[in-house]
Amino acid sequence: MARDIQGWGLAWLNRFAGSAVVQRMKLNKPAEKALYQASKTGFKTAGAANRAFKSVQKLVKPARLDKARPRDLFDLTPTDEQAMIQDTMQRFAEERLRPAAYDADNACEAPAALLHEANELGLAMMAVPEEMGGAATEYSAVSGVLQAAALAQGDMGLALACLAPVSVANALSRWGTAEQQSAYLASFLDEKPPAAALAVTEPGALFDPFVLSTTATASDDGFVLNGVKSLVPLAASAELFLVAAKTDKGPALFILESSTQGVSIEAEPAMGLRAASLGRLLLKDVKVPAAAILGGKDSFDYAEMIALSRLGLCALAVGLAQAVLDYVIPYANERKAFGEPISHRQAVAFMIANIGIEQESMRLLTLRAASRADQGKSFIREAALARRLCADKGMAIGNDGVQVLGGHGFVKEHPVERWYRDLRAVGVIEGSMLL
Amino acid sequence: MKVLVSVKRVVDYNVRIQVKGDGSGVNLDGVKMSMNPFDEIAMEEAVRLKEAGTAEEVIAVTIGGDKAEEQLRSALAFGADRAIHVKVNEEVSPLTAARILKAVFEKEQPGLFLMGKQAIDDDNNQTGQMTSALLGIPQATFAGELKIDGNKATVVREVDAGLETIEVDLPAVVTADLRLNEPRYLKLPDIMKAKRKPVETVSMADLGVEAAPGLTVTKTSPPPARAAGIKVKTVDELVAALKDKGLV
Repeated sequence: MARDIQGWGLAWLNRFAGSAVVQRMKLNKPAEKALYQASKTGFKTAGAANRAFKSVQKLVKPARLDKARPRDLFDLTPTDEQAMIQDTMQRFAEERLRPAAYDADNACEAPAALLHEANELGLAMMAVPEEMGGAATEYSAVSGVLQAAALAQGDMGLALACLAPVSVANALSRWGTAEQQSAYLASFLDEKPPAAALAVTEPGALFDPFVLSTTATASDDGFVLNGVKSLVPLAASAELFLVAAKTDKGPALFILESSTQGVSIEAEPAMGLRAASLGRLLLKDVKVPAAAILGGKDSFDYAEMIALSRLGLCALAVGLAQAVLDYVIPYANERKAFGEPISHRQAVAFMIANIGIEQESMRLLTLRAASRADQGKSFIREAALARRLCADKGMAIGNDGVQVLGGHGFVKEHPVERWYRDLRAVGVIEGSMLL
Repeated sequence: MKVLVSVKRVVDYNVRIQVKGDGSGVNLDGVKMSMNPFDEIAMEEAVRLKEAGTAEEVIAVTIGGDKAEEQLRSALAFGADRAIHVKVNEEVSPLTAARILKAVFEKEQPGLFLMGKQAIDDDNNQTGQMTSALLGIPQATFAGELKIDGNKATVVREVDAGLETIEVDLPAVVTADLRLNEPRYLKLPDIMKAKRKPVETVSMADLGVEAAPGLTVTKTSPPPARAAGIKVKTVDELVAALKDKGLV
């Protein structure tokens, strides 16, 4: 519109400047000047004549709209309990996990005393329903995300080592039959609960958790398991596994005690998550009873299990990404180059801003999926989106963390190189962790 | 023996405090709040006394607005049996706090009153002393060690000159210093249990307490920024620089 008015005005001035009258009356110099000025500054004219504004209605106070009615659909404010749990976990992560992380990474093992201390916090108790003597009154995937993220802020490998048994307890609590719960879930209330882990990932190329090569063949009195599981946390120390295997009715989880004949373990030291003592689980003609199939015949949902395990990994990545952000900000503000903090360089500042944006988006997608799970809505798609984002951006954040520290990021003096390796795992591992 | 512990809601010790632009106070918008760390230590000590069988009941009390209930819930998760919330929305001066705590003490009649030596927000270090004076009972401040033996408490105080061991008759007010103990991590099941423990809400009027004429804060300002230091190469240079500044 403004251009129209200007165009119209300029056209008129043009005609005026070129008209015979102006030429004849030697007015063309000032007229040309007017044209020049007008095209330079835009056409100026008096404001449009306006109507008379009268106050029709006398207001005592300004009329404001109410805030939109809050809907419970996507409220991520943690409850008081969730906030307190998150707080305790963050403190534990910062004061206990972080200082132990370097050695645990080197040793490929989490110190037993530390795992015991983590258990003392009551992590596993929170997976066992109150009627069994545990402390869980409700199941909440959001609480699980907050807990896992808070622990991973200290160290992702150690967090996984602490949470691997809790994952098994969660699965038993969520899907286990009465017999399975009384046989196995109750043991998580012991002072020394069993080390336990989920085993889903397989070593083949392009692993898809829905196309398993580990098989469970029905036999006369149960199943026979055959196959290889890789990147299983706490593999060597675990007394109990939940193994994903293909049955003729689709994939299922099997409860497997580590002393069963035909089970052998191989260490599988990996690039990241080393404190979780990853290992390979080799299954050769392992006989399990018919009652070992988690949830009996119907009450188990494999796709949901995979989605919840992906959310667990996402939560770990969210927590560790937060740790990266919290580490690089003070570093960039304190580290000086060319006489000023490196955060004054946009190349650095923008990178850190991106870490912040990406980390927050990872958190939101993860929490949204978890919150849908808590509401009983379908969350498989949302969990898949979160997983993809957390894998991509988690890796990017790990990489940027190293980059911000430059040469310091590359050496083991700073934890960012470990975090880079740990965050790499999110895109690789399936089902070693379950909310 | 009943143990009364007072706890205060303060800005978390990890938060970098920012003064509001108009100098009217400290910015509390979206700032993480926690239980005063010295109060946590007092709380821990009370719970240890209960675990050792010395105390039968631990009662937590706080003075503050609605949100202060969060800190009471933490106290309950620590192991307090019940809690009292004295609801006051205005800023409370140490003398007002002492008057309120005196009223609560008289109502509950505990054998021991534990609290932090000071709150990390105002750093007044007055409430414990004032409370004991108003109640006319002994005080043992800056406690680094506490032993209860029947009707007496032996307290090792951390004073400027070193450690001072005193014995006080109970009931007494004991304020906790940093090294009294290391507070535990809250256990998750205890956090869940905390929401079922009773919290009694009272007002200052219920307790018959009037606010003491308060101080008026005229201005809040951040500490002055430190000027950059200089590097000297030799001792002579250092001495010269110090002399130059009139410091030696």
